[in-house]
Amino acid sequence: MSNLRKAAKSGAKTYRERSQPESRAHLGFLEKKKDYKLRAEDYQRKQTTIKVLKRKALDRNPDEFYFNMVKTQKVDGEHRERESAEPETTETQLKMMLSQDQRYVNMKKTAELRKIEKLKSSLHMIGIDKKPQNKHIIFVDSKKEVQEFDPAKYFNTHPSLVDRVYNRPTIDALKRGDFLGDMSEEYIKEIEEEKEKKYKELARRIAREKELSIISQKMEMKKHLLDKKARKIKVQGETKITAAQYRWCYQRKR
Amino acid sequence: MGRPGFSPRGGGGDRGGFRGRGGGRGGFGGRGGGGDRGGFRGGRGGGRGGFRGGDRGGGFRGGDRGGRGGRGFGRGGRGGMRGGKKVVVEPHRHEGVFIARGKEDALVTLNMVPGESVYGEKRIAVEDGEKKIEYRAWNPFRSKLAAAILGGVDKIHIKPGCKVLYLGAASGTTVSHVSDIVGPEGLVYAVEFSHRSGRDLINVAKKRTNIIPIIEDARHPHKYRMLVGMVDTIFADVAQPDQARIVAINAHHFLKNGGHVVISIKANCIDSTAAPEAVFAEEVNKMKTEKIKPQEQLTLEPYERDHAVVVGCYRPPPKKTG
Repeated sequence: MSNLRKAAKSGAKTYRERSQPESRAHLGFLEKKKDYKLRAEDYQRKQTTIKVLKRKALDRNPDEFYFNMVKTQKVDGEHRERESAEPETTETQLKMMLSQDQRYVNMKKTAELRKIEKLKSSLHMIGIDKKPQNKHIIFVDSKKEVQEFDPAKYFNTHPSLVDRVYNRPTIDALKRGDFLGDMSEEYIKEIEEEKEKKYKELARRIAREKELSIISQKMEMKKHLLDKKARKIKVQGETKITAAQYRWCYQRKR
Repeated sequence: MGRPGFSPRGGGGDRGGFRGRGGGRGGFGGRGGGGDRGGFRGGRGGGRGGFRGGDRGGGFRGGDRGGRGGRGFGRGGRGGMRGGKKVVVEPHRHEGVFIARGKEDALVTLNMVPGESVYGEKRIAVEDGEKKIEYRAWNPFRSKLAAAILGGVDKIHIKPGCKVLYLGAASGTTVSHVSDIVGPEGLVYAVEFSHRSGRDLINVAKKRTNIIPIIEDARHPHKYRMLVGMVDTIFADVAQPDQARIVAINAHHFLKNGGHVVISIKANCIDSTAAPEAVFAEEVNKMKTEKIKPQEQLTLEPYERDHAVVVGCYRPPPKKTG
């Protein structure tokens, strides 16, 4: 019997709920019961919370002592923990903690540097810039040659390839025509995308490495500043990209 | 009389208070109970996930995997550049140099010793019909010569069958690529003063028969004059203040008339106070006095800052007039 019922079920249409028709889209999302339940439960929970808090406030005994009265103080209308009179860590502990933090940052920095090296070894920025960044000077013998100078002729290449600095094939090589690979259009697109992704990754990593080195420098400075006895003059304050600069006064060692 | 203050709250003072609080909590949980807790936990889980994601960076993780792929390639000969059809190798203007176009774009040379990397560089295997050819990536961020090639230098005067005197060979990374270019017919005399990097250079030369390593000061070419014959080209990357003089005395000893000189100049090493352009011009003038006629000069941005490569001709044959 149960088999039959199951068989009947398999034949039945699957139940599908309709969503908000397009014509009524301006009315917003069409709420179903399960959506309503979520909303209602959330609402009720908030109401209960408010009620409980209200009752607590009413029941509060103004004469009662709370430890937070001693531990905290109001700063800009907000309760903050009061700085305790005696420090929780000794100076050596603090130094150790700082040095370990810095070591961790340096470790991350070296890892980043290694990855940058690895990426750079196969991404040679070939044909990335539309205009070459470098400066190329050709020495000729006379002023007449300067006036008559034709880069395409000098480089023995096609005029359209003069700006393609990374590879200007010679006329002979072009005539032989061994410069084009047989790659499908879609494969070229695929590798272009992949390449772009890699260049982006490289840029991100370089930026991250820079950030990490700034952090490391700032930590180093903080460590030096722990020594309160040493006399020093502030040369420059800390900025977003540099650590603060101090000049320490020379102290004779005895 | 502080205590009586507590009494209106019911017998047992603070105990009652405690129970009251407990009750409150019970009531709170009773209704929203499961849902509330579930919500809390969900939130925490999400938070943690977010934190981890932020820490490691989703994108970075992907990159990491990519890196591993590259390493696999180094060992097995496949992966990384995903050998074979996926890469198209385009011959470069300069004979013996190529550009690999695939997932990476890389300057490459034909590997003279297939199956071996010299300094951990990537290798790219390409199947050409039945033959298998292997190329090695040549990093322009490390090698001035590679940077000059990608910067568009007209002639490097290093081609198959050429004899080259390489001053300032260091560990032999660029030298290995020069040896790839000149091929088995050519010769590279690699001069390096430092014993430490000279050791690496000798190890490179063990695998490549066309490299002759010379651990000697390039300022005293008479010390190695018995080893070196006439050469077609001198390449110098010595980064010394008296670089022009070093190149000149080597040219007088070994360079044939009409041979060429390729010098890489680091402005900082010559004069760190002067403007780079002025330093380059000064060096070019020094070359002129040593019978080296400058032909071209190019800076190496974006690969190096304040570096230039100067190509010159030594004792050029007189120009025909008319």
